[in-house]
Amino acid sequence: MNRRDLLKTMGSGFAMTGFAQLAAQAARSESPLLPKAPHFAPKAKQVIYLFLNGGPSQVDTFDPKPMLTKYHGKQAPSGNLKTERKTGTLLKSPFEFKRYGQSGLEISDLFSHLGAHADDLCIIRSMHTERPNHEPSLTMLNCGHVLVGHPSMGAWLTYGLGTENQNLPGFVVLCPGYPVIGPQLWSSAYLPGIFQGTYVRNTSDDPEELIRDVRNRSQEAESQRKQVELLGKLNRLQLAHEGDDPQLEASVAAYEMAYRMQSEAMDAFDLRKESQKVRESYGKGDFARGCLLARRLVERGVRMVQVYYGNDQPWDNHDDIMKHKTLAATADQPMAALLQDLKDRDLLKSTVVIIGGEFGRTPAVEVSGLVDVQNGRDHNNHGFSMVVAGGGFKGGLTYGSTDDFGFRAIEKPVHPHDLHATVLNQLGLDHTKLTYRYSGRDFRLTDVAGSIVRDILV
Amino acid sequence: MVLVLAVLLAADAKAVDPTEFFETKVRPVLADKCFACHSSSRMGGLDLTNRPAALKGGNSGPAIVPGKPTDSILVQAVAQTHARLKMPPSGKLPDEEVQAITAWVASGAIWPEGTKAKVPPPSEYVISAKQREFWSFQPIRKPAAKSIDELWLKMLTAKGLKPSPKADKRTLIRRAYFDLIGLPPKPEEVEAFVNDKSPDAWPKLIDKLLASPHYGERWGRYWLDVARYSDDQLASQFEIPHPSAFRYRDWVIKAFNDDMPYDTFVKAQFAGDQIKGREKELAAGTGFFALSPEQQDDRVDAATRGFLGLTVACATCHDHKFDPIPTKDYYSLLGVFLSTQKDEFPLAQLEVVKAYKDHEQLLKDKKKELADLQDNQAHELAKIFAQDTAKYVLAARGEKVDGLDQTVLERWTKYLSQPNHEHPYLKEPPDKLQTTVIEVANEKDRIDAENKVRLGLNPQRKDLSSANLLSLPRDKHYLWRDLFSEKRTSVFYFKDRDLDRFLSAPFAARVNALRAEVKRLEDTMPQHYPFLQTISDVAEPKDIKIRIRGSADNLGDVAPRRFLQILSKGTAPKFEHGSGRLELAEDMVAKDNPLTSRVMANRIWQWHFGKGIVATASNFGQLGERPTNPELLDYLASRFSEQGWSIKTMHREIMTSTAYMLSDAPSKANETIDADNKFLWRANRRRLDIEALRDSMLAVTSELDLAIGGQARRLNEEPNKRRTVYGFVSRRDLDPTLLLFDFANPNATNERRIDTSTPLQRLFFLNSAFVERRAEEFACRLEKIQSPEARIKQAYKILLQREPTKEELRLGLEYVKSETGAWRKYAQVLLASNEFVYVN
Repeated sequence: MNRRDLLKTMGSGFAMTGFAQLAAQAARSESPLLPKAPHFAPKAKQVIYLFLNGGPSQVDTFDPKPMLTKYHGKQAPSGNLKTERKTGTLLKSPFEFKRYGQSGLEISDLFSHLGAHADDLCIIRSMHTERPNHEPSLTMLNCGHVLVGHPSMGAWLTYGLGTENQNLPGFVVLCPGYPVIGPQLWSSAYLPGIFQGTYVRNTSDDPEELIRDVRNRSQEAESQRKQVELLGKLNRLQLAHEGDDPQLEASVAAYEMAYRMQSEAMDAFDLRKESQKVRESYGKGDFARGCLLARRLVERGVRMVQVYYGNDQPWDNHDDIMKHKTLAATADQPMAALLQDLKDRDLLKSTVVIIGGEFGRTPAVEVSGLVDVQNGRDHNNHGFSMVVAGGGFKGGLTYGSTDDFGFRAIEKPVHPHDLHATVLNQLGLDHTKLTYRYSGRDFRLTDVAGSIVRDILV
Repeated sequence: MVLVLAVLLAADAKAVDPTEFFETKVRPVLADKCFACHSSSRMGGLDLTNRPAALKGGNSGPAIVPGKPTDSILVQAVAQTHARLKMPPSGKLPDEEVQAITAWVASGAIWPEGTKAKVPPPSEYVISAKQREFWSFQPIRKPAAKSIDELWLKMLTAKGLKPSPKADKRTLIRRAYFDLIGLPPKPEEVEAFVNDKSPDAWPKLIDKLLASPHYGERWGRYWLDVARYSDDQLASQFEIPHPSAFRYRDWVIKAFNDDMPYDTFVKAQFAGDQIKGREKELAAGTGFFALSPEQQDDRVDAATRGFLGLTVACATCHDHKFDPIPTKDYYSLLGVFLSTQKDEFPLAQLEVVKAYKDHEQLLKDKKKELADLQDNQAHELAKIFAQDTAKYVLAARGEKVDGLDQTVLERWTKYLSQPNHEHPYLKEPPDKLQTTVIEVANEKDRIDAENKVRLGLNPQRKDLSSANLLSLPRDKHYLWRDLFSEKRTSVFYFKDRDLDRFLSAPFAARVNALRAEVKRLEDTMPQHYPFLQTISDVAEPKDIKIRIRGSADNLGDVAPRRFLQILSKGTAPKFEHGSGRLELAEDMVAKDNPLTSRVMANRIWQWHFGKGIVATASNFGQLGERPTNPELLDYLASRFSEQGWSIKTMHREIMTSTAYMLSDAPSKANETIDADNKFLWRANRRRLDIEALRDSMLAVTSELDLAIGGQARRLNEEPNKRRTVYGFVSRRDLDPTLLLFDFANPNATNERRIDTSTPLQRLFFLNSAFVERRAEEFACRLEKIQSPEARIKQAYKILLQREPTKEELRLGLEYVKSETGAWRKYAQVLLASNEFVYVN
């Protein structure tokens, strides 16, 4: 089956999604990853999720608070909101905010490169989640639930839409090691395993270092071709003997696909094929490599790519908020370069780029016994910022707001369920209809909540 | 203008019902625009959620003065006439909302009593007769039928289906081997069975397999899916293995091998340690709960879905939407588990345990004593060096200064040469820097002393987290860190052996004595005694309160610890012994509980056939599937409890039925009626699960290590040739091969595995070192045979329990001639072939 045939079968699946289509595909012995028609005409086709894990501070990045400067060193008039650890007086941001672009979006110096794309950025300043702890907030942002054991957004997207390139995984997750909790964050949970994120360490430019079993190291391609041919013949003989069996037919087809995947994946993950100029524009480091890989994968039709900034939780700066500066130094330029690169290739229109972490940080300084210096901020789930670009999101816009000090989202609060619902909407999926029946119940990415934030859409 | 209108509206506010005016015009505005800051968070000290609080006001005084809108700060703030306060911060309210608030204050700020948002407590839940009628709550009715086949055939006939013919013997022996022990039969075993023409050849084979110790490895693993077994915790950043999890796994395997009656098996997992006289044998069973995931409380979920097929955890926040499970029932069961704690059950003499613990404590104490002594000396020493800071800096910059310590000077030189420092003090002239350094050290000492007072003795993590401590200002902190802290690179601090040369004789003697003591204790440290990870009851078990909408801040009635209402006659009696877990287990397996036996009989059926009579094996509620053959299910359930809850007896009865022995032959006529084979007119073809797949590959090359039980080892640690069931199962980072082949999720109870067929799985067959290695071994095994033809035949016999067809033989011969090193590659093709990977 070639790509054109694949697209043809896509037509026959029109107006069916989710389980019905999966069942139909199984009956036709097709891969569950074939492209499926969305619920309605989509604005975007793909998602890149840049995850600044650990919880970047909103008041030091995308949500300027002059009052915080004014009341620096004083107790917040309202007292501090309940957070994970003990916090003290208000702490002003050590970073300067400037206005960028025609829209004049205010962004701190940490993200001046991103500032150059201000007119493409939609800054949501009123995000909020339930818990001030990393694990439940990570699963909420990724899987729409405070507990582990629910499918991730990428799993839902590939389940609902399949993927455009059958020779690559539909959902790729890049991280040099693991973020906190690790694979649960890209799990397919109760969805079939084929929808789970394919995890790749973005620690090298050489694809052979990155992907397990992607290429046979002990024999030439020609020799393997012969093996696959013999295998095909033997499997078909058995099929003829056993009579029709969709399961076995699928397995025969899967070998052909796997064989092709080897060369395609080798190519997709080979950063040495990028020009010096492009490489330089992204800068150095694992995250830069991840951002560039994200573009290469999206370009080849991968449905969703998620790039974690780093291992564990680098943005979790309880002790010294100045550490944000070091982190941003290797985050800002690659993200800006990615946006530029997507624009240059006319991919930004059809790609939703999400930037953010699992929560924000407190405007007040942390004074607990778990830090050795008091110049940082505790977790803050009550209010934080996320940035979305491309894929039919309005650029040059800030949406919602936190209170005067940046503690709590007060105006037009946006919950991760709302963000998920909105992203799904841009991909042509109705979040209330993208369901999977498991153990007698229909499950959704957005649980029983979520509303589309129409005001941030073009 | 606003005020004029407001006065007009005030008339309105009086004219209409003031309660209604408040509820429709004012309260929604307050709730929407003010509560975010002026409720529990009380920004500016102001709470606007009730009248007394609003009258009291905040930091700027009363928010409202009833009847006097112009004097009310609330009105001034929202009208934005107040000099300072302009509310809400997000932007001025629409005029009509400002007017409504003004009018409301003008008319006396009527705030009806008791309208503070409260969630009403749930009323007492009554289970209706209709709910009780649901099929799974009905008592088990044993049909008059005498056999599985009778009921199975009755259903097929009713549906107009004809069973496929019986499978041939080769197919049957392969099926039975994979089904019961998860390994392929050897060629000679196939031969013997095919040639055994006696009528009891089949039952004999089944008995032989049931007697094999490898039976428990296969069927125990099925249970471990339900038990969400893992060898580690779902830790956030680090690996935290469960040191003794394997003893629960081995206990389960042994329980299956010994055919432990299922009722005992159930009771042991809740309360094996409380079953008099059998504690030693059964305590390990509590691993089911002792190994629960740490990050979330899933114990009610695993217990009720696992044993009862009920989704009781759906009633955490509200009464179950579909099944007769009030939220109180959830908290009744949760109360049982919250009255337990994780514990260890030593498998050694008391003296051995005590000796170990004493030794461990002593070692810890001595280590601490040594570390404290050294730290104290190093700290004093650092302060002495600090007195010469200026000299060191000058010397580091090339000036000649006498009487300095060479190491400290080298450290200074290195430190000063670093390009970046986190603080600005190195720009100061040396004298000034020296003063700063000494000051910082003294300040740090004062802060540490104060913090010690604030923390008290032996602070735990939670004390640290909630403590309000002092610290040096940021820049000074980094100066201190770089010069005085214990960091390896710090300039003034000397650790352990490096410190020795500075110590005065008495201190040196003390340090050396402690070192010797620590070494002695380490050298003589006994082996850790073996123990089980178990649960035990807490000292004071107690009932908990319902958390309304799942919120710990909103408590309702007490939920007494007792069994589920729907499975009890009248009001369920309260549990009275300890946590109540043994009573809970006894209720689970009570004669009149219709669920436990049905659920397990259905699981056994599912594990044999790939599909249960109830397709949702862990959900027998409204949203679960209905049984495809209710009579057959009840027959099996009653046979199960009747025959002493013997699982092996169930295997014999099921496997000797015709229903089990069918071939997978297709039938167009049947397919039009029952394409999914719900009623079992043919055998289901199944992909080998990862355990059977990996074990088979090792078995056919004669590499498989058949040792039973023991500590888990990672599967990707070559050469791990043990059965897959003994591979390390991680909640945090599941082995990639297990993950690739749809292994159970160890973070929640599993009702079944999903079979997927993906290109990435094919890459495993084509490229993985594991498969390549097995292909090589297999080719070696064939090498002894001379003729290529005979080799191919033998390969088919070992892998597929049959001779190759002429065409297969031709293809094979052609291939091995055309390739260099062909046998290895040929073996790999056969290991990857569908026939090897599927069982029918």
